[in-house]
Amino acid sequence: MSQDNGAQDNGAHAGSGATGANGTESTTAATTDASLAARAKNPKKNGPKWWLISLIAVIAAIAVVVGVTFAFSANDEGQTDTSGASGAKYADSVTVGLKLAPTNLDIRTTAGSALDQVLIGNVYEGIVARDSKNQVAPAIASSWEESKDGLTYTFHLNKNMTFSNGDKLDAEDVAWSINELIAKQYHDAEALAAVIKVEAKDADTVVMTLKTPNSNLLWTLTGRAGLVFDKDAKYDLKTQAIGSGPYTVSKFVENSSITLKANEKYWGNNKAKTPTVVINYLADDNAAVNALKSGDVQVLAPITETLAEPFASDPDKYTVKAGNGTDKYVLAFNNASGSKLADKRIRQAIRYAINHKEIIASRGGADKALGGPIPSLDPGYEDLTGLYPYDQAKAKSLMAEAGYSTDKPLELSLTYANIYGTELGDQLRSQLKPIGIDLKVNVVEFSTWLQDVYTNHDFDISLVDHNESHDFYSWADPTYYFGYDNKDVQKLYNEGVAATSDKERDAKFAEAAKLISEDAPADWLFNYRVTTATAKGVEGFPFDLNQTVMPLYDVTYTK
Amino acid sequence: MRFVIHRLALFVVALFGLSIVIFAALRILPGDVASVMAGVNASPARVAQLREQLGLNRSLVEQYGDWMGALVRGDFGTSILTGRSVTALVASRAAITFPLIIVGLLIALAIGLPLGCAAVLARSARVRALFHMMSIIGGAIPALWGGLLLILLFGRGVGLIGILPSQGFPLDGWAMPGRALLSLVLPALSVGIIVGASIMRYTRAALGGFADSGYVDMARSCGMTRTQAVLRVGLRLATPQLVSVIGLTFASMITGVMVIENLFALPGIGNGLVTDVGNRDLIAVQSELFLLAAFFLGIGLIVDVLHRVLDPRMKTATSLSEVSQ
Repeated sequence: MSQDNGAQDNGAHAGSGATGANGTESTTAATTDASLAARAKNPKKNGPKWWLISLIAVIAAIAVVVGVTFAFSANDEGQTDTSGASGAKYADSVTVGLKLAPTNLDIRTTAGSALDQVLIGNVYEGIVARDSKNQVAPAIASSWEESKDGLTYTFHLNKNMTFSNGDKLDAEDVAWSINELIAKQYHDAEALAAVIKVEAKDADTVVMTLKTPNSNLLWTLTGRAGLVFDKDAKYDLKTQAIGSGPYTVSKFVENSSITLKANEKYWGNNKAKTPTVVINYLADDNAAVNALKSGDVQVLAPITETLAEPFASDPDKYTVKAGNGTDKYVLAFNNASGSKLADKRIRQAIRYAINHKEIIASRGGADKALGGPIPSLDPGYEDLTGLYPYDQAKAKSLMAEAGYSTDKPLELSLTYANIYGTELGDQLRSQLKPIGIDLKVNVVEFSTWLQDVYTNHDFDISLVDHNESHDFYSWADPTYYFGYDNKDVQKLYNEGVAATSDKERDAKFAEAAKLISEDAPADWLFNYRVTTATAKGVEGFPFDLNQTVMPLYDVTYTK
Repeated sequence: MRFVIHRLALFVVALFGLSIVIFAALRILPGDVASVMAGVNASPARVAQLREQLGLNRSLVEQYGDWMGALVRGDFGTSILTGRSVTALVASRAAITFPLIIVGLLIALAIGLPLGCAAVLARSARVRALFHMMSIIGGAIPALWGGLLLILLFGRGVGLIGILPSQGFPLDGWAMPGRALLSLVLPALSVGIIVGASIMRYTRAALGGFADSGYVDMARSCGMTRTQAVLRVGLRLATPQLVSVIGLTFASMITGVMVIENLFALPGIGNGLVTDVGNRDLIAVQSELFLLAAFFLGIGLIVDVLHRVLDPRMKTATSLSEVSQ
């Protein structure tokens, strides 16, 4: 209808004279004859073309916006340039891009390694610390002794320590922090179940007494359990942090960023080299890559191998490196008695059917194969990848024994959180299909996973990145979500924990780990190695273990 | 006046109904904030203890009563996870989202209105088809893709003409208005182009309807050219319709720009809401949703009142039917 009108319209001006039309229009338009009305659309033959004018206006508006931005951005760069010039050798600030953001700063009650990563060693310090090889190192305590029976630990503290608010840090604060953790059952208090009491013997000696020996104790104290808080300070732990570390939290925007400023009252050797470190949390991978490219962040950890490619191929401008870590991608089976996977043959068949090399290669090849529950940085590690090599024929025959084949497949569900992406589920489904398993993949929200799988044990197969170090205990706890109940393993684990020498402990753990792997209560897809990309000029950023321990005091950036 | 009071009463009733819907719907979600806080290494005892501390094991009626009671007093509660008041949370997020959608909407209007008018005024069928295609293409661009393209074109350090920041919001917020505004240019442009296309379509449809109507014919019979008649009479008549569309577009943009916020790493309202739901921080989520619902209804109310102001015919039904004939 409207097109018709337009065509007539055009015809009309071509033919009709401009001046005469006006006169006729006033009489004809009163009638509703559309064709007549259309006749005198435009009195002037070459009148202004409104659509053209509007188009030009829009373009002009865009041009103005672009122009203004140019001006602004030029200004901006001018500012940063001058500030850069006034700085000495290193830049005044470094921005680090991370992925998983903490929702608050309350390290005492809120789980998640995002808090450990940014706060431990930077803002809060523990009685002991963890080095980049996952070993115990001195921190607030400069040295310690363990009694022969393994029941008493004596810590000798450094002298002249202070918190960032100026308060003195002494044995009282240490004892109070740990006792408080146990009394109030803060996060990780379970790990100190063997502790009877912690006492301040004098201003710089702390004595810890245990019910039973615990070979994991010192390592446990490197984490949240050993953090030292200011006994006398009153503040909201969710939004503020007062610790004794080289940095203080100067600004925290939940789920978005944390600004760390050098602690002027810092007492120790790890003095901050860069006055301001900004942590930016970038949930979107593409956004993260753009941020590194545009120089909005100087460090990106983690970055997926595939997205890191352009940076890796530009070594003049970027450094890309995968670091060791304790992330275990655990494909846990439901081992409870009523489960479809209670049949060991099926569990073994799945382990034989998974082509770990292919999975690792598809992720970029930085990850390491892992054949059992203990990763290489944890005590008791042994290479167990040989126990279940990729062998589809064997997997098929095991499935046939259990009564399943491609014609009569076993239906299983795989439930995992959406943070791990959909690729892994698809790969597993196609790898398990030929042996007669029809895998239904449910990708859910993390809190749904927590409810269905972790709490209600309502699943067949689950996939989680268990990134915690020293979490071998979960295999000795039959109430844990995978429901793995093996008395021999529990016995070996308890003996390992009670061991008074590291060698003895490692041997017991290794033996237990081998038993577990043989039993196939899960498949360990790989040991995820975090890839980190840094811009040229960044020095001192930790590559190993940086998703749980990320000391920043040494980080510098030279433009 | 009676009309406004009537509408206000409806507003309150609707809000009350919504509060029940919001509260109930959120309780159906599996999982809770206690297990999120406790994490994957916690014993069931620890989760139970947290649940007790947070008051999550009380009856639903009690929890709803507490929430409503506080709401009536103007207290939107405190987020369990962040420990900040919901008002403060929403305010800090709104300080990013609102400027973003206002600038975005202005861009959309600057693009959509003139182009929409031009599409009606264009005399050549080919030009009209061109405008039609523009609006379809503009409306069909996925926000994520459009945003990425803009980043690739203008993003600082990434783009062909890298002049604009494409990541994040300045840490000092609006303390440095220039930089803050600058960081919103690309996201606002991505929103503006897409919303602009839909506004263009609405304008074309509304104005096109009147351009063929007796009003315009009448105006022309009084001596106006077609262009004059369409712009002065037609546009004036189409204004009420356009105001409704723009108002509702504005309201839906608040959460609609979430994808853009995510892409440009802006901690805005939509982004925050999704995070809060993911963490099952229900006290925060329910108050945030309530505020959003109130805002949405508020815009609806304003649009209705504006409608009557802009279109005097709405005051009496008889004259309206007279005019429509």
